[in-house]
This record gives sequence, structure tokens and C-alpha cells, in this order.
Amino acid sequence: MVTNDATILRVKHDVLYEVAKMAWEGTLEEGREELPYKMFPGPQAQFRCCIYKEREIIKQRVRLAEGQCPVGKDSTNVVQVINAACEECPIASYVVTDNCRKCMGKACQNSCNFGAISMDDTRAHIDPSKCKECGKCAQACPYSAIAHLERPCKKICPVDAITYDEYGICVIDEKKCIQCGACVHSCPFGAIGTKTFMVDVIRLIKAGQRVVAMVAPATEGQFGTDITMASWKTALKKLGFADMIEVGMGGDMTAWAEAQEWAEGYKEGKKMTTSCCPAFVNMIKQHFPTLLDNMSTTVSPMCAVSRFVKEKDPGTITVFIGPCIAKKSETLDLNIQDNADYAMTFGEIRAMMRAKGVELEPEENSYQESSVYGKRFGNGGGVTAAVVQCFAELGEDIKPEVMKCNGAAECKKALLLMKVGKLPADFIEGMACVGGCVGGPSKHKAENEAKKARDTLIAGADKRNVYENLKNLGADKVHMHRQ
Amino acid sequence: MKVTICIGSACHLKGSREIIKEMQELVAANGVKDKVDLNGAFCSGNCVNGVCVTVDGTLHSLQPENTKAFFEKEIMGRL
Repeated sequence: MVTNDATILRVKHDVLYEVAKMAWEGTLEEGREELPYKMFPGPQAQFRCCIYKEREIIKQRVRLAEGQCPVGKDSTNVVQVINAACEECPIASYVVTDNCRKCMGKACQNSCNFGAISMDDTRAHIDPSKCKECGKCAQACPYSAIAHLERPCKKICPVDAITYDEYGICVIDEKKCIQCGACVHSCPFGAIGTKTFMVDVIRLIKAGQRVVAMVAPATEGQFGTDITMASWKTALKKLGFADMIEVGMGGDMTAWAEAQEWAEGYKEGKKMTTSCCPAFVNMIKQHFPTLLDNMSTTVSPMCAVSRFVKEKDPGTITVFIGPCIAKKSETLDLNIQDNADYAMTFGEIRAMMRAKGVELEPEENSYQESSVYGKRFGNGGGVTAAVVQCFAELGEDIKPEVMKCNGAAECKKALLLMKVGKLPADFIEGMACVGGCVGGPSKHKAENEAKKARDTLIAGADKRNVYENLKNLGADKVHMHRQ
Repeated sequence: MKVTICIGSACHLKGSREIIKEMQELVAANGVKDKVDLNGAFCSGNCVNGVCVTVDGTLHSLQPENTKAFFEKEIMGRL
């Protein structure tokens, strides 16, 4: 996968690995201060202006890895700015590049309604105090000589939650942030990260608690065709988890409950939305609170499986593993009973594995706890397909229109339409990441790269129905609503 | 009213999940679901005084057996 953050990922993973190793060994207390020196021994800086800055960044990353804010402030946001790593990029501006020929046409100057463009000796010049960033000049230039510079974090944020302080350092407006994590991998300096539960999970395993892993439906295919659900189960058990369950089974549970809820809503003429994507749920809560009544009350697949596990073994600690960052915020919503205790990303669990010498190893694709519909929950359109399958199994002869929103921008548009009563469809399937969970911010491989392996693995699953699966697993009686 | 309960491993081992469960039941039993927002919190490093619970930003130290009395005084008493 070509990304702009390969080096950053290596540094991030090195920190996670070192922290995990110390947590397993019980040497974190003494070791955390030493780590910045170990990683950047100096005297020459590798990436930044000096080793002191590089070490400070590592110190802040260690705090995040331990679930704390990078600097002393107290904030409940999962997504955090590593302020030492923020390079104060220009916020947003139009600049004239070397492509400018100072031509006679001067379309840039003629197109500017604010008199912001003048000509200097060699090229056009934009006066930043007059420029309103309308972009007309950039469109007008026949040489594409005017570039639009925008902070990558600010550009990618779907809810305009990225601001900056008086020094130009990135600040997240936590009232707006929906924890989708899009900004985390957009920053070419790796200045945005997330708090992790990794050390907590290691400590609880070490304390002899019963900890069960729940692996996201988006997992299949991420690590090639050889790494199956059985591979995950074996590796996680080696790591000290008591067991592993496929959250695809929770996809079945959620689809079954949601189909009944939607069927009822459809007959009453009530428009509704899904409730399984936590960033989409946060978007409704924080940006469209008037639509809360329209949001399905069915719990997410993660919560469904957690309840299933806890019903059988009360006191079990449930840990979700997937490509999602917003799931961490879902575990923090304690108004929902018996949801997962912790959520982790692929990167975090793999650091935990590496630190203990455990690998994901090829195994036969024979372990299956969910129908193919539950497995496809992690794909855009997958929730709708599963619900439609449940309509058929329930004998509901209805064909509602579903607006399948692929990514946060589409979600926002659909919710806006719903808010003003102009939604052309009956339901909204909201997926804050493009492609669905498989496009999540902490994915291991991009959706298109993993597609072939994913399709192969899912094609290897048997064709059980949703309800048949729930009944056989004894998961058809779990309480499936938020309240 | 925003109530946060630490779910870090140290507080977990001191019984934060029991406190959470009891709080959820008390919130429901007292019919104050619309008024009390229960949130988990990452470890804030205050483990010695755990279980760490904040009510509208004020930090308290709580043991599972005191949950009911705490709820009456600090939550119901302030609504």
C-alpha cells in the first residue's frame, strides 16, 4: 500500500511494541522514561530539528499507548494531538508556484473579486490578508500555477473539528469530533494519535482475568488468504485470551433485530438509520441530535457479542479487535449495558503479539461463527444486504429504499436531508469510512488490496441462514436494544 | 450531568465494573436516564485513589460497596 505515512507507522508501531513488551514484562514503571533515549540515541536527529524534539514526541506517544493524553491536560477524547509532533502547517492558503509565467492574459488577476493578486518581478503574488480563499484564481490559471495548500488533517475531517491555537498547532474541537480517526493517518508528520487500552488489556490478562477477544467482521482478508479466523483464534489464545469470537456473528444478531425494527418502522412510515457504526452514531448525537429518535435502538454487533459472552460467563472482560478507532469511544458510552470493555486496533493487538513472540500463522479456513451476511457487515452495503436477507427469513414482503452512505461526507448529506424531511429513501445505512469498516482508519491493507483475499475467505464459508446461525449458537435470545 | 468512571486496569481490578453496573441500575431505577450521562474514562494516572469517578469534573474516590450512598449524595443530591 502506498501511503505517506510508512515511516511514521514504523515509529508508531515501534513505540507500541516497546510499551507492550514492558507491560508484559512488568517493567513499564522504570522503562517508560528510558524509551525516548533508546529509540533516539542521538547525537544526530533523524527526522526533526533535534533529538530533544524527537524524544519529546516519543514520550507523548508512550503516554498515548498507555491510554493517557499526550500532555498533562485532561480530556476524554480518544483522538488526540501529539503537539510536539505538529509542524504547524499552513492552515489553508492559495500560493503561486513556479509554474507561473506572468502571462499577458492574467486570468488570475481578472478572476479575483477581492483585489488580492498583484504582479511582482517574476510572477503573480497573492496578498494573504486580502485573499478569501474562494479558489477562482486557481481555476482560472491556464498553467495550473496556483496551488491550494490545506492542512491534510483539516481537509480530511468530515465534521470540521480541526482548529489550531495561536501558535498554529492543531487543536481538536472535542464537541465536534466524532472519533472517526480519519485525521490520524492523514497527517504526514504523525501528529495525531489515539489513546489505547493495550496496557490495560495486558495487565488484566496478566492478573489472571478471563479476557475474551472479539474479532471484527472486517478482519477476514486483511492478512491474506492464509490467515483465517482459526489463525486468529490460535494466536489470541497463545497471547493469553481465554477465547475468541467472530463479531460477524454479532452482525447476524444486529441484522435480525434491526430487520424487525425497520419492518415496524416501514409500516408506520417512520424513516430510520442504522446504529452499528460508532462514528456515524457520534455524528447523529453531536451534529444531528433531533434525529436521535430516528436512529435504530438496536445495539452494534460488538455489543451484541459482548452481551452474548457475558450472559454465559458473567464477569468476563470483552475486547473488540478491528480496524476502527471510533469503537474505542463506543466502549466509553456506559449508558449501554454490557458492551465491550475495551476496543483495540489491528496495530495495537499485533504489537502485543510481537512483544510476546506470537504470530498469526496460516490455518485451514474451517472456523465459522457467522453467516456470510454477518461477515459482510464490514463492507459498505453489507448491513442492508443482511437486513434484506432477514426480511426474507422473517417472511416480510417489503422492499424499502435504503440510502447506503459510503463515508462520512455521504452520511452527513443524508442526515441533512433527513433533518429537513427531504430524504428520498426510507432508511439510511451510515458508514463513516469509505468502503465500510474494511476502509477503517486502522486497517492493515487498503480495501482494494485486501478484496481478493477477503472474497476468497468468505466464499469458503458455508451458506447458513442468519436465524439458523443464531439459533444454533444460542444467540437468538440476547437483549438487542440499547435500553 | 456527566459522570465518568475510570475503566483502566487498576480501577477495573478494584471493582469499577461493579460500580458501573450498579450505577446503570440506579440510574434506571431512579428514572434519571435523561439527566445522567455515564461515561467510561481512560486511566488518568490516579490509580492509588481508585476507583476514580468524576461528577461534572470533580474527582471522587469510590469503592464498590459505597456506590449506593455515593449515588444518593453526589448524583441524586445534585440533580
